[in-house]
Amino acid sequence: MATTTTAVPADEPKTTAPESQLSIVLRRFRKHHLAMFCLGLLTVMLLLSALAPVIAPFPRDQLDSAAKFLTPLSVDHAGKLRIFGTDHLGRDYTTRLLFASRVSLGTAVFATLIASTIGIVLGLLAGFFGGWIDTIISRTLEVVATFPTLSLLLIVVSIFVGNEKNIPFPAFVTKTISFLFAVSEREAKLVLMVNLILALFGWTTTCRLMRGMVLSVRENVYIDSARALGASNLRLLARHVFPNSLPPMIVDFTLAVNGTLVAESALSFLGFGITDPTPTWGNMLNSAQSYMFQYPWMPLIPSLPILLASVAINYIGDGLRDALDPRQKI
Amino acid sequence: MAAFLVRRLLQMFLVTIVAAICSYSLLYISPGGPIETLLAEKQNGGANRIDQSDIQRVIERFELDINLPIRFSRWLIGWPNGPIFGSFGADWVVGCTTPGKVRLRYPDGRTEIVEEGCENTLTLAELEGRKASRGVAFGDFGESQVILRGRPVTDLIGSRLFYTLYLMGGAVGLALLIGVPIGVYSAVKQYSRFDYTMTSIAFVGSSLPSFVFGIFAILILSVLAKQAGLPYLPSGDAVGVRDYVIPLLGTITAGSFFDRFLRFLMPCGVLTFINIAGWSRFVRTSMLEVLSQDYVRTARAKGVKESAVVLKHALRNSLIPFVTLLAGVLATLFGGALITETVFNWPGLGRLYIDALSRSDYNVANALLLINVVLLLIGILITDILYTVVDPRIRLG
Repeated sequence: MATTTTAVPADEPKTTAPESQLSIVLRRFRKHHLAMFCLGLLTVMLLLSALAPVIAPFPRDQLDSAAKFLTPLSVDHAGKLRIFGTDHLGRDYTTRLLFASRVSLGTAVFATLIASTIGIVLGLLAGFFGGWIDTIISRTLEVVATFPTLSLLLIVVSIFVGNEKNIPFPAFVTKTISFLFAVSEREAKLVLMVNLILALFGWTTTCRLMRGMVLSVRENVYIDSARALGASNLRLLARHVFPNSLPPMIVDFTLAVNGTLVAESALSFLGFGITDPTPTWGNMLNSAQSYMFQYPWMPLIPSLPILLASVAINYIGDGLRDALDPRQKI
Repeated sequence: MAAFLVRRLLQMFLVTIVAAICSYSLLYISPGGPIETLLAEKQNGGANRIDQSDIQRVIERFELDINLPIRFSRWLIGWPNGPIFGSFGADWVVGCTTPGKVRLRYPDGRTEIVEEGCENTLTLAELEGRKASRGVAFGDFGESQVILRGRPVTDLIGSRLFYTLYLMGGAVGLALLIGVPIGVYSAVKQYSRFDYTMTSIAFVGSSLPSFVFGIFAILILSVLAKQAGLPYLPSGDAVGVRDYVIPLLGTITAGSFFDRFLRFLMPCGVLTFINIAGWSRFVRTSMLEVLSQDYVRTARAKGVKESAVVLKHALRNSLIPFVTLLAGVLATLFGGALITETVFNWPGLGRLYIDALSRSDYNVANALLLINVVLLLIGILITDILYTVVDPRIRLG
């Protein structure tokens, strides 16, 4: 007993039970102060976007021709405070920014979840079974890698966005999307379309990484012993291969969320993604760009959250990478 | 090596064909196009009213009446442009000049006209008199349909290519000159204050979306500086339209060298910064790896000067992975500046692509996408070949 206690550093709790993997990672992550700060910042942003319909001071699309281009912190003709001012149609900027964060952050998480799921499943299959499954998936990855992503993404978006009304999505899907993103059911189709397209373009990195991880995990002795004990392929995948290849995927997921966030904002900024009246940070920036010479604060307000969210997610990813890497000393 | 090259060229050829088919058929199903532009003009009224014969002419000119596979083949290799072998296949139907119209009468009295079947078919023989492009494979990308209607796409691309090359050339060159030394110095002085500052800046820089950075640059250097009465940078376009006055610098003549230079500074600066952020981190990492190698220790132990150790032994080896990154620049020549060009209204290829897509000019968009794919493939090939040049241990097989 004495030997075990001396092996544990003094500042750690002296528990008899071995510390769980999760709590080790959490403890190591907490030491990364910048990442912790960024996590707090992102949590606040997510909370604000979740509460958007509740805390928004005005209806989202309420036009007011008498209150156009109000500067932030000014009071309009009805005596109401406009914290972030109003836009070129007299819509309240605070309200739109809140709803935009719901759509932008929502898309970043939702599309990445779909993309990562596709990537992880295909990567698992390709890495674990090998053979023709691996050949098909790897060749697809190679071909996709030679395509210019942004250019192709623009084409696909320009084809499907605008035609989304003709695509029969089931009613419960549009209802769920309109609830998740706080948009009307009519706009939900467009939001869903953009999400699906972004997911379609986003799974390859995850898949390649997962395949590599599975290939290395598969060679471990414990897999062989589990197989020798009679574990089925499904059990091997679910209980051994999948959990052990997961840690790098967590880092990959955070970075992919940032990638999707930037991609969606860029698309909307270029006028191809989610369009007005559904607000996103990208399309708010797009319409603000035309007025930036008279009203310099206009592009500043939607670009700050993009900047903050993007840098915050990257730092969280960085912190997670350090926390999950057992070789890294913190 | 020869076998490798042959296999790779074959592979590249296949991928290019697949990409061409994909982009052509994707754009085929997309909405908009020259007819819709015409109809929009018609709705707007005005002096140039458009009648059915105009529409027919446009359809014929842009081959909208030919079936997709034939159209694609005419676009790609300029064939078939008439009957095959004398009169063989002269009466093969390859398209439809006037779609058949069917009037549907509903029980409730409503009528609706739907297009179905074909009233006048188009045969191969009728294609003979038509003006056709020589085919993309032979460098003829056809005519622009909307942006510069009727002008060859190659002209349009040619007029924009210079601006993209000039912007990217400047940005890549500057980023190399600044980024590589920063990366090297950061690695040599690891964990110094310089290293921390530079890695933090690079970290933020590489996570910063380029359009946000571009907007910030315009806001600070152009809008706010102008409002504060300081010397400011003009934003947007590559050449000014009229003369303007900048405090301290005096009047700038539109179109002069100085005017072009001032307008070049901001987009170039943004691209340079983004490249530096990525590349300096890359060089730093690979330099750190090399500096911990045994042969570097040996060189130091032999008493080689520190500068020679860093520059000759370490830098050369650490640039091996970097070379591959540079070959990728060829591909980003067009795609990399797409967003920056749009933000700064820079008349380059990237913005042309955005314009072509948003105004449904398919020929232009197709041509640019194809060029992009080919550049990417060439970039990958050069990367692989360069690997063997800079690192003789690598063999291609």
